Amino acid sequence: MNTYFIKESDFNNFIDNMLLQLPVIAPVLSSESVESFFSFEFLKNHDELRLDYDITILPPKKAFFPPRQVIIEFSHGKFHGTVNAKKQVLLGVHPYDIKAIDQTDFLFTENYEDINYTAYRNATTLVCSNIQTISKRAFWGSISHDVPARGHDAFLTKLTDLNEAEEEGYLFEVFNEKGHELLSFGQFLLATELQIQQAKSINESIKDKCPQQLNYSQDEMANTICRSFNNTALWDELAQDCFSCGSCNTTCPTCYCFNVEDSWNIDQQSGQRTRYWDSCMTEDFAKISSADGQSENFRKTTAARMRHRIMRKMVYLNDKLGTQACVGCGRCSIACTADIADPVNIIKRIMEEAANDSL
Amino acid sequence: MTAFENKKAENIFLPREAVILNIKETSQLEKHFTLRNADASKMIFEPGQFLEVSLFGYGEIPIGLASSPTRENSFDIVIRTVGRVSTAINQLKEGDSLYIRGPYGNGFKLEQLRSYPILVVAGGVGVCPTRSLIQYIMDRREEFKSFTLFYGTRDPSQQLFLEDLKQWRCSDKVEYYETVDKADEHWEGPVGLITELFKKTSIAAETRVIICGPPIMFKFVIYELDKIGIAHNHIFVDLERRMKCAIGKCGHCQINNKYACLDGPVFALSDISNLEEAF
Repeated sequence: MNTYFIKESDFNNFIDNMLLQLPVIAPVLSSESVESFFSFEFLKNHDELRLDYDITILPPKKAFFPPRQVIIEFSHGKFHGTVNAKKQVLLGVHPYDIKAIDQTDFLFTENYEDINYTAYRNATTLVCSNIQTISKRAFWGSISHDVPARGHDAFLTKLTDLNEAEEEGYLFEVFNEKGHELLSFGQFLLATELQIQQAKSINESIKDKCPQQLNYSQDEMANTICRSFNNTALWDELAQDCFSCGSCNTTCPTCYCFNVEDSWNIDQQSGQRTRYWDSCMTEDFAKISSADGQSENFRKTTAARMRHRIMRKMVYLNDKLGTQACVGCGRCSIACTADIADPVNIIKRIMEEAANDSL
Repeated sequence: MTAFENKKAENIFLPREAVILNIKETSQLEKHFTLRNADASKMIFEPGQFLEVSLFGYGEIPIGLASSPTRENSFDIVIRTVGRVSTAINQLKEGDSLYIRGPYGNGFKLEQLRSYPILVVAGGVGVCPTRSLIQYIMDRREEFKSFTLFYGTRDPSQQLFLEDLKQWRCSDKVEYYETVDKADEHWEGPVGLITELFKKTSIAAETRVIICGPPIMFKFVIYELDKIGIAHNHIFVDLERRMKCAIGKCGHCQINNKYACLDGPVFALSDISNLEEAF
């Protein structure tokens, strides 16, 4: 597939033409006070689009794995599935989130394919965009950084720092038929070799600019964290201020745990079975009930739950995914009220403790 | 055309209907249902596998199959009244329908049990999923060596499958021992913890052992088995977890890096004894 260029002056038209034909989910400004907060929303017009966003509050997985999703409707003893995926475009996804989507693509397909995810995912044209602004808690430059972003259909890079003679605009790489279809919405030109090189250097140079760094290899981290499993004092320390609110899970692009519940409509004859995001950091997540009000909780303490979260992100899924289940977006660090969820701080603390022990 | 439009994958969350043929009230808390697929198809499963059982408007719960696949025309489950779903199911009548998904999970590994002496240790409702194996062994007794069954409950009123118990007590196909933690005025059998039953018979070191019961029971039983010298890869435990989706996605049944719904619910002890979250 080819690489194209669209002029800055043609870009708004491209977005508006696309909006006439397809629903587009893209980053918009969500709220602005001392700081700006962005979120992925259905785009209404080109003015709303903020490709210069640093990070969104929730990850873009919600486009195919929404926080609440009706999976079955029932009425008078009959029931049916609700999968009804329509073509949509998810535009402006940063490379770290593309990597996370690649992980959930695999996890919702392995062993048993869940079409309540894959149908919506397959109906989505996924457009990656380059990172123009770096979030203050990001560390994607040093985690999962050697894994290529893949699974997207096109890649949009805003060309900056140009000579006066060069035209402002975006490089648009198209990887497959789904990406190619978008060309019909705008005035695209074939990109020049210079433009392709410019985009490449923009996307390469940003990798070293994360405010936070982890200077360990994936195996070093996985092995040391795994060995720290029984260091109860350490996990107690790391989880000491945890409120078990689950915000770290809710904002995580690679978290995919869910719960399922039934509810009735007001007629008491019909209703729905709904799945919703669940969090392994909440108290009841691993709890089972037995008779007479008794229960058994297999991860009773905040420390046990914190350990499980870190193991899942850094150890348990590595063999399956070929990488950690953390892409370094830093959303959990921002969302955590007590500011104890930051994987960078947690990993550094575990590595430091292990280094002290081996002295 | 997208990949999805070409593909007609099945929606794995859609259950199928099963009709209740018979209900037995086995104790104050549990009901024993005999079911048949509404389309009259045969239920194909392994002893130790489980179903997701649901009632629309109430929800879905994982329940171990309580009968052996050798009993071909129907299958059994036992529901203990605990929460919203089980309470609603236990109000159903014969002829009503339930909705099921499955069977799911790894059951008792029959190929690792055949031609060995077998000991089943069942505590409380742990007798329900193990009944699928007990029945299987009783039906195909010649495939196994000696067969010993230990069954312990808190008190006599908690005993399940009373008709089976009558049969097991006098059957020459099984060496059956039972106990209750606390007797009532009618109880004439042994009183004491399930581990006391090890004193009543001798268990050979080559025995393959299946354990199912409350989490607290496992370590005491394993302690007894260690004294006999039974290897941990010959001990199989049936674990109860919140297996919400049954397909290894929702995360609720995870034990360290294993999923009870995919890797279990029956595990060889040697595969999980190093997992802190197992017991």
